[in-house]
Amino acid sequence: MDAVANLAGLANLNHERRLIEAAQSDPSRFAELYENNFHRVYAFVARRVSSRDEAQDVTAEVFHQALRNIGRFQWRGVPFAAWLLRIAANALADRWQRAARGLEVPADEAEMENEAARAETAEIERRAMLFQLVDRLPADQRLVIMRRFVDQKSIREIAQELGRSEGAVKQLQFRALDALRGQVRNNNE
Amino acid sequence: MSNLPIADELDQAIEQMLATPELARRGSGQEVEELLAVAADLRDLPRDNFKTRLRLELEWEAAGRTVTADAAQTEKRMPAMQPASANTASLPGLFGKAWRGYPVRRSNMALSFALHVIMMLAVSAGLVMVKSMAPQIDTHPSVTVRLEPYPFPVGSAAHHGGGSGGAAEIRASKGPAPQATREQRTPPIVLPNHRPRIAMEASVIAPPDMTMPKTRQVGDPLSVLAAPSNGPGVSGGMGGNYGGGFGTGEGVGRGDGGNRGCCGGVYEIGNGVSMPRAIYYPEPEFSDEARQAKFQGEVTLLATIGIDGIPRDLHVVRSLGMGLDEKALVAVRTWRFEPAKLNGHPVTVQMNIIVNFRLY
Repeated sequence: MDAVANLAGLANLNHERRLIEAAQSDPSRFAELYENNFHRVYAFVARRVSSRDEAQDVTAEVFHQALRNIGRFQWRGVPFAAWLLRIAANALADRWQRAARGLEVPADEAEMENEAARAETAEIERRAMLFQLVDRLPADQRLVIMRRFVDQKSIREIAQELGRSEGAVKQLQFRALDALRGQVRNNNE
Repeated sequence: MSNLPIADELDQAIEQMLATPELARRGSGQEVEELLAVAADLRDLPRDNFKTRLRLELEWEAAGRTVTADAAQTEKRMPAMQPASANTASLPGLFGKAWRGYPVRRSNMALSFALHVIMMLAVSAGLVMVKSMAPQIDTHPSVTVRLEPYPFPVGSAAHHGGGSGGAAEIRASKGPAPQATREQRTPPIVLPNHRPRIAMEASVIAPPDMTMPKTRQVGDPLSVLAAPSNGPGVSGGMGGNYGGGFGTGEGVGRGDGGNRGCCGGVYEIGNGVSMPRAIYYPEPEFSDEARQAKFQGEVTLLATIGIDGIPRDLHVVRSLGMGLDEKALVAVRTWRFEPAKLNGHPVTVQMNIIVNFRLY
């Protein structure tokens, strides 16, 4: 399965085409395209920058550019995510002036069909899925994950904030990671 | 089953991973190692509110507006100020221009503003119209007066009385009036009963302070006859009618009237005595005090209307207060009446003047 097919498998192309056309006629309809692709773009960017703040900046820049240029998008049967990732790659290249990390910007979506790009796309999808799954965790488990990995707080600090024992917080952390691992594995299978 | 040992081991590995991210960490077991790999990816999670905030930015931009650069820079410089757990957008401001504010189209805002202005003008105009068209509600004073006869109380010394007599052929003899008392035990007679069963001094009902001569031989002071006579009346008095008094009337008093009492000056309205008729009656004024307090009611005055039609001896029988009693007295003192009449002749009467103060 090539990269395009890989992306196409995650999205209903016909439905996505209608969303694009709707957003082209009314930019306020861009929201659904954003929701469908946010984690994908963010995961792509986050692997190529060194900080969360930078990843968020580039992600925001990508979507702002996409919204401004949605009218120029031409449907060629390629997933909308490919267009977004190309914008992201260009944005990163502009930032680093094509020097940082030896990033090579694909000339067009067809270049994503090579082997490296295929692996890259799979990794992006896995991480995007993981980030989405975090949002579906039970509230207490999600809070522990966000405090531990985003805010990088210690178990003791989280326990104090939640008013629970450190053992209980460790248990929540373990259950959350275990659930995420299981769901990623099931989705990949 | 408790996973505490695994949870502890996993947390220690995570702690090391977070402390030194550049070093590859391995868990002691496959499970911990797999969980650690998931944890490593989670280090790149976006901040809690980033996705929502970016969506609002895009919606804002799609609506034709942009977030100010200053606000965006502020957000970047002070990420810690954003609550990590906050996953909700801020409330929209009036012009939707606040950071993460609700997206608003300029045209919609202008239309909304214009509609609000029109609504406010309409409401204001309505209030002005209602106020201008509303009737001026003012307390309008109204004073009405009615005249009523004054019913003499039983036993009142103000009644006129009269005498009876001893069924003689001639009028009662002239003589001083008998003693005046409030209760009559024995009617006055000119020809005394020399063998009374119980000796009682003759008297007529009259005010006790009336001065009477102290003599055994009493008579009718108005008579011109000197010969002893009880008069042509009956019932034991002296005079020409019946009753225990003397004179030409009926009753136990003295004078020309027809009941009890004395002096014959003030008549009770009725029984041939007509009601006085007011011919000049300026309306009493409302007092300022009562008007401000919206106080109303009736004042009853007792007046003696003389034969000249002038009210005298004005008394407040039922008071109202708030200065209305005085206002009623001041006005009624200026009134003039056509006097009451008895058989075509003016007589003095007492009557009630009821002044009704009303506010409408």
